[in-house]
Amino acid sequence: MKILVPIKRVPDPALKTKVKDGAIDLTGANWVVNPFDEYAVETALRLLENGEAGARVAGAEIVVVTIGPEDAAQQLRSALATGADRAIRVDAEDKALDAGVVVAALVQIIAAEKPDLVILGKQAVDGDANQVGQMLAGKLGWAQATFAASVELAADQKSVLVGREVDAGVEYKRIGTPGILTVDLRIVSPHSVKNNVTPATFAYPDGPRYASLKGIMAAKKKPMDVKKLSDYGVTTTPVTREVGIELPAARAAGQIVADIPTLVKKLADEAKAI
Amino acid sequence: MFALDEQTKMVQTMVRQWCETQLAPRIPAFEHGSELPFELMKKMAKTFGLDAMVGAQVRKRIDKLKAAEAGGTTDETSAASLSGSLGGDTMMTHVVVKELSRVSPGFAMGWGVSMGLAGGAILAKGTADQVERWGLPLTTCKQIGSWCLTEPGAGSDAFGSMRTTATVDGDGYVLRGSKTFITNGPGADIFVVYAKIDRGEPPAEQSVATFIVLRDDPGFTVGPPFKKMGMRDSPTSEIFFDDVKLGVERLLGGREKGKAGRSDTKDSLANERSGVPAMAWGIIERCYDASVAYVRDRRQFGRRIGDFQAVQLKIADLYLKLRNVENTVFRLAWMQQSKTQDPAYVNASKAWCSQAAVDAALTAIQIHGGYGYMEELGIEKLARDAKMLELGAGTTDINLLSAARALIGPDGGA
Repeated sequence: MKILVPIKRVPDPALKTKVKDGAIDLTGANWVVNPFDEYAVETALRLLENGEAGARVAGAEIVVVTIGPEDAAQQLRSALATGADRAIRVDAEDKALDAGVVVAALVQIIAAEKPDLVILGKQAVDGDANQVGQMLAGKLGWAQATFAASVELAADQKSVLVGREVDAGVEYKRIGTPGILTVDLRIVSPHSVKNNVTPATFAYPDGPRYASLKGIMAAKKKPMDVKKLSDYGVTTTPVTREVGIELPAARAAGQIVADIPTLVKKLADEAKAI
Repeated sequence: MFALDEQTKMVQTMVRQWCETQLAPRIPAFEHGSELPFELMKKMAKTFGLDAMVGAQVRKRIDKLKAAEAGGTTDETSAASLSGSLGGDTMMTHVVVKELSRVSPGFAMGWGVSMGLAGGAILAKGTADQVERWGLPLTTCKQIGSWCLTEPGAGSDAFGSMRTTATVDGDGYVLRGSKTFITNGPGADIFVVYAKIDRGEPPAEQSVATFIVLRDDPGFTVGPPFKKMGMRDSPTSEIFFDDVKLGVERLLGGREKGKAGRSDTKDSLANERSGVPAMAWGIIERCYDASVAYVRDRRQFGRRIGDFQAVQLKIADLYLKLRNVENTVFRLAWMQQSKTQDPAYVNASKAWCSQAAVDAALTAIQIHGGYGYMEELGIEKLARDAKMLELGAGTTDINLLSAARALIGPDGGA
């Protein structure tokens, strides 16, 4: 079985965003793999291994792909270090991309790679657009299961049963392969991914795995193809454009009021909350 | 040469994440002694695949030793390069020690003593059988080790004042005496112990040999954990040998080496000293990072305190210490990699980095004011921990004397 995992680099979400001259200031930004994409890589690894034995299922392959500048190779290598087999970087400046361009490129990559599953993070934490997985399924005409909180690969590998947390509870959807899966944060809970190979009793550590030192050393030697958008015949240009950036207004300081009637009056007249 | 390569940076990021999520939350329990750190050490080794990686190297070493022993020779050549490094990459090892030391110098020390000193000593000097039985579990962190030289009456004068003896008894030995300030003592499975071989000659003429003692050996006992100023997350104790009978298979290397026995110990001492600057690096880097963040954020007299010159001078002082210690570690890694022997540098830099760590931690507390004095920020802990670096692996005074003596050389007479 072959799984393709598109990943995106994002500025470290733990650091404070700086805005300078009407744009986000990315000088000296610390780039990391989008956390949901890390969960997607972890999901792919768990689907294609015996977690208890720590061994990959024979014939299984995980390909990670990113569309971004040369520096983005670091994020691909960190995915290779955790266990992905091969990487593709499509060279492009961040500014030349939007969901439409990314999807156009991924459609071509998928046509060339012919994966059984494409697993993506539900959204990237920089733009929070939450579009690529759904648009990709639409363009390919493939089945999709989004916001997966659990996934079980059928023994015949022809379908996956996906648990999605919805308002009323958990909804289960079975989709056939090839298909598109986007993952939510609970996919990396200890028992969220089942593949009929790892014993059901086996509990993964909570969260995506750490790369082993051996994995980090091996990552350097794993293949990484570098392509251009034009190699895939992508001529699409972004249809979204940035109009302006501003930080949310600072919250006004709280007030201490003397009694409840004053509070009600202020809520009605000033806050317009009631 | 003064930059980490991409792989080492990746290791740094991984270990930092692990420390923040797995190690830092346990520090209060380790500090107050309600929990021992050894299970987490084993878990760490497994998480990062140290067991698999180092295990493969050690098995190769065992095969090589077996082949050499079958041919009636010994293999001394590759021993030095094996001890105290992960995958032969010394800078990567230092970076791991640095990252652990940002959060817990004691955890770094306990791990370093077990894998590097105790495991490294057996790996470098043991027979194939010894490496397989005791070196492998220690270097892969499946078991915990202690390295035992200091005695109640033998600190700086470790060999001259050593009272622990191994009396020859038939084919084996009987161990009598005690050791103190033993890192990992309360939890270790395997103890690498230095003792004088007693055949009735005066103590000054007795040779020193290394023995492997196991926790459940009859006659061997371990005292309760000491109450210490710092390094409280690294349990330390006394250990006692009351007629512990050891077969010759417990004599490291399988034979007595006479006078050369002391130089075996000295190799380990140099390793121990080379490990200290990386711990100082972690302490200083954390103090620097926390201080810079604090002076940007903390406001007094209507502006951030980083705008006051008295504070700026302290930041510059921390920065200078950080970069100097970092440079020292790069140099030590290069020396280890290129097998450059320079005992004066190893000793002098250990002394300097330890002092710098103590100074930096106290400066960081001063910058943080009353908050720095509180347990919650974790900086007062680093100050208490840093002081140990000036005492362990040779006191600063002894380190400096050793450096000076190496520089001046022996008196060749008139």
